[in-house]
Amino acid sequence: MSDELMQRRELLRHAAWMLGGAVSAPAAFAILQGCSAKEAAVSASAYKPVFLTGASHMDMITEIAEIIIPKTKTSGAKDAGVPAFIDSVLAAVYPQDAQERFTAGLTEFGAAAAATGSAFLEQEPAQRAAFVKKSLEHALEGERNPKPFILMARELTLLGFFTSEVGITENMEYVAVPTVFHGCVPLSEMKKHVYWE
Amino acid sequence: MEQNSFDAIVVGSGMSGGWAAKELTEKGLKTLVLERGRMVRHPDYPTATKDPWDLPYGNRITQEIRHRKPVQTRTGYPTPANEHWFVDDLDNPYVEEQPFDWLRGYHVGGRSLMWARQSYRFGPLDFEANAKEGVAIPWPVTYDEIAPWYDKVEVFAGISGSVENLYQLPDGKFLPPHDLNCVEVDFKKRLDEKLNRKLIIGRCANLTAPLTHNESPQRGTCQARNMCIRGCPFGGYFSSVSSTLPSAERTGNMTLLPNQIVYELIYDNDKGKATGVRVLDAETGKQTDYFAKIVFLCASALGSAYIMLNSTSSRFPNGFGNDSGELGCNIMDHNKPGNSNASVEGYLDVAYTGRRPNGFYIPRYRNVGKDKRDYLRGFGYQGRAARAGYARFNDSAAIGEDLKKEFQEPGPWNVSMTAFGEILPNHENQARLDRDKKDKHGLPLLVVNAVVRENERKMEKDMRNDAAEMLEAAGFKNVTLRSDSYNVGNSIHESGTARMGKDPKKSVLNKFNQVHACKNVFVTDGSFMPSFGCQNPSLTYMAFTARAAAHAVDELKKGNL
Repeated sequence: MSDELMQRRELLRHAAWMLGGAVSAPAAFAILQGCSAKEAAVSASAYKPVFLTGASHMDMITEIAEIIIPKTKTSGAKDAGVPAFIDSVLAAVYPQDAQERFTAGLTEFGAAAAATGSAFLEQEPAQRAAFVKKSLEHALEGERNPKPFILMARELTLLGFFTSEVGITENMEYVAVPTVFHGCVPLSEMKKHVYWE
Repeated sequence: MEQNSFDAIVVGSGMSGGWAAKELTEKGLKTLVLERGRMVRHPDYPTATKDPWDLPYGNRITQEIRHRKPVQTRTGYPTPANEHWFVDDLDNPYVEEQPFDWLRGYHVGGRSLMWARQSYRFGPLDFEANAKEGVAIPWPVTYDEIAPWYDKVEVFAGISGSVENLYQLPDGKFLPPHDLNCVEVDFKKRLDEKLNRKLIIGRCANLTAPLTHNESPQRGTCQARNMCIRGCPFGGYFSSVSSTLPSAERTGNMTLLPNQIVYELIYDNDKGKATGVRVLDAETGKQTDYFAKIVFLCASALGSAYIMLNSTSSRFPNGFGNDSGELGCNIMDHNKPGNSNASVEGYLDVAYTGRRPNGFYIPRYRNVGKDKRDYLRGFGYQGRAARAGYARFNDSAAIGEDLKKEFQEPGPWNVSMTAFGEILPNHENQARLDRDKKDKHGLPLLVVNAVVRENERKMEKDMRNDAAEMLEAAGFKNVTLRSDSYNVGNSIHESGTARMGKDPKKSVLNKFNQVHACKNVFVTDGSFMPSFGCQNPSLTYMAFTARAAAHAVDELKKGNL
């Protein structure tokens, strides 16, 4: 264990023992949290995919995720590190059959886009967005079991975005240490409108 | 031998073991606590202060976790945030003759670290049921006898809840209740008006206010983080690690040894007493004997049954204290056949803030008072109303800026609830040992065979239909009843393997949790239950453990042990 971590443990122990009530809790928590400072999301260009290693696969997922949640006044999927997240979740969380469906679906998606005249990544942004939108609408109308590729991609995008620091802090009612639960308050007391849980 | 000798040995450091350790050490006994898993100290919980973005894979269960923990993942629990509290099933095998979900935490604190903290008393209805209905054997203890011990453990642990004056669910010594949220308040009102059923706030071991005693300076109030399952550095909920073990440690009378697998009780035929326990070191395999005047088995219902089944001698050829043939039998849990949910219209101008580590509770009403069904006993519901989180965007057709606009809209409300039904004790629901199959320590494997039967099946119909009836009576929409396949054990309330009773021919333990045939051994985890109610059981284990420890010390002083 590093000295820094040891020291923090001691501070933490001390802080927790001192806790009498709600007032001192956030201050103590700030001490606890120092040790879990997170490295910034790895930028898409520097990221080496572990699962999406097929030709253009990582680039295509990056664009699809950014089309679903684009950067506007607030952060988008790329800012949130969603493309790398999707790759890592596919590798570590998805069972083999779902992995295979995802890869096959991504390849089909690419082929269907190319059939409209040019490869997905070479299309104009508006054209790409329209193609994603059309694919999504088509999937929402059809059979969802097993889940079509574009719905898997969107689910992963949302999961990655809403478990990322920027996605959460910009959009979610998430406070690390709320200190107290209030069961029924006017909506105006909510600063953000997506509940973390 | 000298250094391995103590006044008392406590096997297990979880919900029951922590209480045994605290009570015995506070009464002056030099006590050895043996835990088969690793050390955990308050407030060192490795993931407790991580934000959601600090957890890998969006905190989803990985294939690696599924591979190592195929049983533990049947509950959906072991995520990257908490999987270190759940055993590696490959290293800790058992045999399922019928599917049986055995959820285990091998570390100091046991499952008191991960429990859902729901804390309900059993009432006269529960303690009298077996005798009145001629089921199994009567309880040897009345509600009035155990009530003061409930008082004691509630005050020390800190249980929040509301006073309701319900016969089937006695009130306790409560800290202030959590709020119901706006939808739950109306749900409660409508159930009361239309169906005369109660909906109350859950009673839980979270400190909604400071403790009313000064014995736990290491504990602060609940911070409404609802990350309890990771361990709480604030000490906001009761676990043995945050509460009872620190008290035991402060007496100076406790020796706590982790990584010690107790596999056998040592029995002295001449004295007619247990003299200690045999232990394997989980890391080195080294075998050691420890000796004491009394032994408390608090290793969980299956863990303690295992040790007793594995402790054979000329006196006890079929397992320790097993003159009745009931050791390992009568396994119970809570039947949980499915979750019900509904969507709620309106309430868009109201919200809740903070994260409540608790939900609502609908206490049992079936076979209570004048209600009579074609099955015995009943069930309660646990649930909550909440506003939808980001998962709702998976049903949206919007992308891009349109989708981001939806991020600014509050999500709709929904309600979900799950029924927990009483399972009757049945001799055929059994655990035994298979001595031909061994684990990596060379110890025989436990074989479990338990199923739900006719009474539970009949009750399931009401559990489902009543949920729909209540959700519809409240005016909620899109009522959905999910049918889940339930394996015994999935409610993580396994119990009953060394039941207590008056008659030594029909029970393993007496009314003070002492082995009938060997009075210096006490079993105070879920093993002792002769019936199981539909309430979460931990509070009852705490109360019986505290009472058994007081009795043990009295008997020791009188020279009876």
